[in-house]
Amino acid sequence: MYKNNLVKVSPSEGVRIARRTQINRATVQGIIPPHMLKELAQRGDQKQRERAFQALTLSERIRERREVLGPLATAVATPAGEKRRTVYDVKNECCDPHSPCLPGSLVREEGDPSKGDPSVDEAYDGAGATYDLYREIFERNSIDDRGMRIDSTVHFCQDYNNAFFNGTQMVYGDGDVDIFEPFTRAIDVIGHELTHGVTQYEANLLYAFQSGALNESMSDVFGSLVKQRKLNQTADEADWLIGEGLFTSKVNGKALRSMKEPGTAYDDPKLGRDPQPAHMRDVKRLPFWEDNGGVHINSGIPNRAFCITAMEIGGFAWERAGRIWYIALRDRLRRFSNFQDAANKTFLVAGELFGAGSEEQKAVRKGWTDAGINITVRAMEAIPAR
Amino acid sequence: MLIKLERTGGFAGLRTAVTLDTDTLPAEEARKLHEMVDSAGFFNLPAKFPLPARGADYFVYRLTVEKDGRKHTVDVSDPAVPATLRPLLQSLVVYARK
Ligand SMILES: [Zn+2]
Repeated sequence: MYKNNLVKVSPSEGVRIARRTQINRATVQGIIPPHMLKELAQRGDQKQRERAFQALTLSERIRERREVLGPLATAVATPAGEKRRTVYDVKNECCDPHSPCLPGSLVREEGDPSKGDPSVDEAYDGAGATYDLYREIFERNSIDDRGMRIDSTVHFCQDYNNAFFNGTQMVYGDGDVDIFEPFTRAIDVIGHELTHGVTQYEANLLYAFQSGALNESMSDVFGSLVKQRKLNQTADEADWLIGEGLFTSKVNGKALRSMKEPGTAYDDPKLGRDPQPAHMRDVKRLPFWEDNGGVHINSGIPNRAFCITAMEIGGFAWERAGRIWYIALRDRLRRFSNFQDAANKTFLVAGELFGAGSEEQKAVRKGWTDAGINITVRAMEAIPAR
Repeated sequence: MLIKLERTGGFAGLRTAVTLDTDTLPAEEARKLHEMVDSAGFFNLPAKFPLPARGADYFVYRLTVEKDGRKHTVDVSDPAVPATLRPLLQSLVVYARK
């Protein structure tokens, strides 16, 4: 199966799969397998780290990957294991690539004390909590897994009701006071945006239609996990809301999305009703010009699959359900993956991590089945030789 | 002149829409809108702009204008919005909020 994968996918994705699944026929330097190099680059002493990092970056395969990623891969890297955050302020300037203003003026760097501007401090703290989740739970070193500096810009534009990831950094608007509070107010928004960066470096899910909704869902999943871990909540205790606290008191709604009950987050005379489907039978078939084919709409379906899986497994959602989803995002999903692929891959990953027929694997099946997607692979299928 | 804007996407995934008939607007507002449509060269803009290669949670716009027997629709997403079109979009979003 993996051979087939390698034939089908692009060279860069082939590299990724080969690297991650550790089935390389030829290793990077011929002696030390890349996963060990990676391990050394992260955990070795200074000398080992430097050598391992060098070996990794010099390898033919990695170079190939760098070319594909372009300027991103050359983004400032830091010695392994270090958290490096910067927060910038654009002072309500509106801009786009025609008249660039990003990232703005530097206001807070790693280790700087609080600046007294809530947006600056929330962006800083939220990026920290997200980095920590990826580092401490999933052994991932920042957005690119190589210690990339995490840049955020606050006070973007005026009355700006949005936050986005521009391919390099996170950007937050202040909201319009009427409908929205500043977008840094909810820590899951920060986890959501940073996860768009992780996805870009891993599965690189195309931001359109089902692969786009899956991309969105991954951001909601890990955004919610950042919040749950920060609050030390089990799956049962978590509210599973996305963007709770962003609506002003004038809006009739608890949040922007509900992973537990998609379609119930808000119902407001001005904003209308939360349009998210909770089941595949209600999937919205939208044209591309509407939200890139409904990426923020249909994400309700995989969101619910994750929530049910995590509740079935019980305990802290990041420990087992989160790990299954993370490995799928990192190693199994690809640019054009759809919901069915995500269901099958998470099911197989659960089998590999916890055993075929394990409670965890059954929970994954239940999650997707309840959301209307049946697993179409067998529990034992395609377990890679180790 | 008829103008219709539908903005979707963004982190919130909310839909913001407005339809304006400049004949029913105060003269000064109508004049400004005509001016913005003209200075955007709206009828010469491509119907579709290329996808942003990277990034997520950008706003997505569909803008339709009917004027002097002509009708044109433009689909464009941030950050690819042409600088000449941005003032019109910003002003329409303000109308949509009213
Ligand atoms: Zn998003």
